[in-house]
Amino acid sequence: MKNKLMHLSNETMNIGFVKKVEALSGSSVRRCFQCGKCSAGCPMSTFMEHPPNRVVRLLQLGQGQRILAGRSIWYCASCETCTTRCPNKVDLAAIMDALRKLSWDADGPSKESYVQLANRLFIENIRTYGRQYELRLGAAFNMKSGQFLKDLMLGPKLISKGKLKMFHSKNKNIAEIEGIFKRIEEMRKKGEAL
Amino acid sequence: MTPGKKRLSYSYYPGCSLHASGREYDISTRALFKALNVGLKEVPDWFCCGATPAHNVDELLSLSLCAKNLSLAEEVEGDLAVACAACFSRLKTTQHHLKEDDTKRKQVEVAIDGPAALNKPVKHILEILAREYGLAKLEESVKKPLMGLKVAPYYGCLLTRPPGVPELDDCEDPSIMEDVLRALGAEPVKWSHRMECCGANFTLSRPGVVLKLSNAILESARIAGADCIMVACPLCHGNLDIRQKEIKEAFGAPDSTLFGNIFGSELHGGSAPDQRDLPIFYVTQLAALAMGVASESLGFESVITDPKPLLRDKQLL
Repeated sequence: MKNKLMHLSNETMNIGFVKKVEALSGSSVRRCFQCGKCSAGCPMSTFMEHPPNRVVRLLQLGQGQRILAGRSIWYCASCETCTTRCPNKVDLAAIMDALRKLSWDADGPSKESYVQLANRLFIENIRTYGRQYELRLGAAFNMKSGQFLKDLMLGPKLISKGKLKMFHSKNKNIAEIEGIFKRIEEMRKKGEAL
Repeated sequence: MTPGKKRLSYSYYPGCSLHASGREYDISTRALFKALNVGLKEVPDWFCCGATPAHNVDELLSLSLCAKNLSLAEEVEGDLAVACAACFSRLKTTQHHLKEDDTKRKQVEVAIDGPAALNKPVKHILEILAREYGLAKLEESVKKPLMGLKVAPYYGCLLTRPPGVPELDDCEDPSIMEDVLRALGAEPVKWSHRMECCGANFTLSRPGVVLKLSNAILESARIAGADCIMVACPLCHGNLDIRQKEIKEAFGAPDSTLFGNIFGSELHGGSAPDQRDLPIFYVTQLAALAMGVASESLGFESVITDPKPLLRDKQLL
């Protein structure tokens, strides 16, 4: 994709995707005039192939697929520095959320799987327990990502310091929490929510 | 809750971290409030706010989880006190969004099967100390001033950003932590990285990110001559404290920058690179210490980078 000429036409520009991003984020991408303040302040831009200002530029050009194919959106830390500093009130942090949701829903073709795995396990933990069960979160991540030795020495140390609990009980209102997940799924099935 | 003759009292949302990896934040918050004679009552059956992972991929879920927690909080009297910066940010964001966006509010009300309760003021512990309890009264209540302790106040990302949402302080140039530190008798240092991201929840998925970002924060604090860092977020604490040894191992090479050479050697009277351990304190630990609370009840035993040598050196133990 690098250094390759970008041909813009009805066929190569996906404007419908951009409209979805704008609807989900509640923020316009057209207001951006590429000053680059977002990328200058972004603590994560060195980890991204498309720094934040280029993500917006690609959206302006209807090139959402190029963004989703990369790892940039998954390396955003949601620190909100970009949104805070944008002189044109582009809510880039919300745009990143919208892009991740669209990638997530489509089971997107992103190169970054670890962050997605961590997100999925974190959300599953809420549904199963109510409150985060950190030991299980870490153990499940290691198992599913195949990094069996990751932070192996840290675990026992944190347990001995009381920072990781071996056992964790479910919330009493876990059925109500499950209800929230269920009703959101139903709303989406019926097309009542994005 | 208006300050005045009536005793201040709050409902309390600790958040998941404060029940496990950030337990000392919970312990010291309770100890501090007891010492200040401020009421604190935990919201029954609260659950995870969804934090960053939920809003990362599913905003509706994130808003719904927070809205449900806000309605649980209605059962307890008093404004809602929140210690974790991430929970604070999510709960405030939810109130903000749902007040502005009717469509989203209606969807959330379907999801939580009830009305969204959006009017309970959500307040961070810092705000309660500096504004509600008040800096003057805080200073009066100090029994053991933190004299000679140079502290780097670390705000991180979510306490003040984005503009208009947390309503805690100026989003780019806050001073609430410095104000609280001065009231406690400590000396806040000026430094470059007080609002830079520590890598937050990448600690699980991509720890390399945390090592790089948190190293820059620790280094900046050392260069500024800080003895320690003060935080108000369990994730910041985890990254700077738990991973501090690992960061040192990863970036342990002598600091060869001009800055490091000049300031590093000047501060430490030698040519050795500045590799001091920097204890990481929660704001509530420092405040409670200044209020004369026994150090045994501040959860120091759970901290990885031992703060006791520093506190002994400054005669604060």
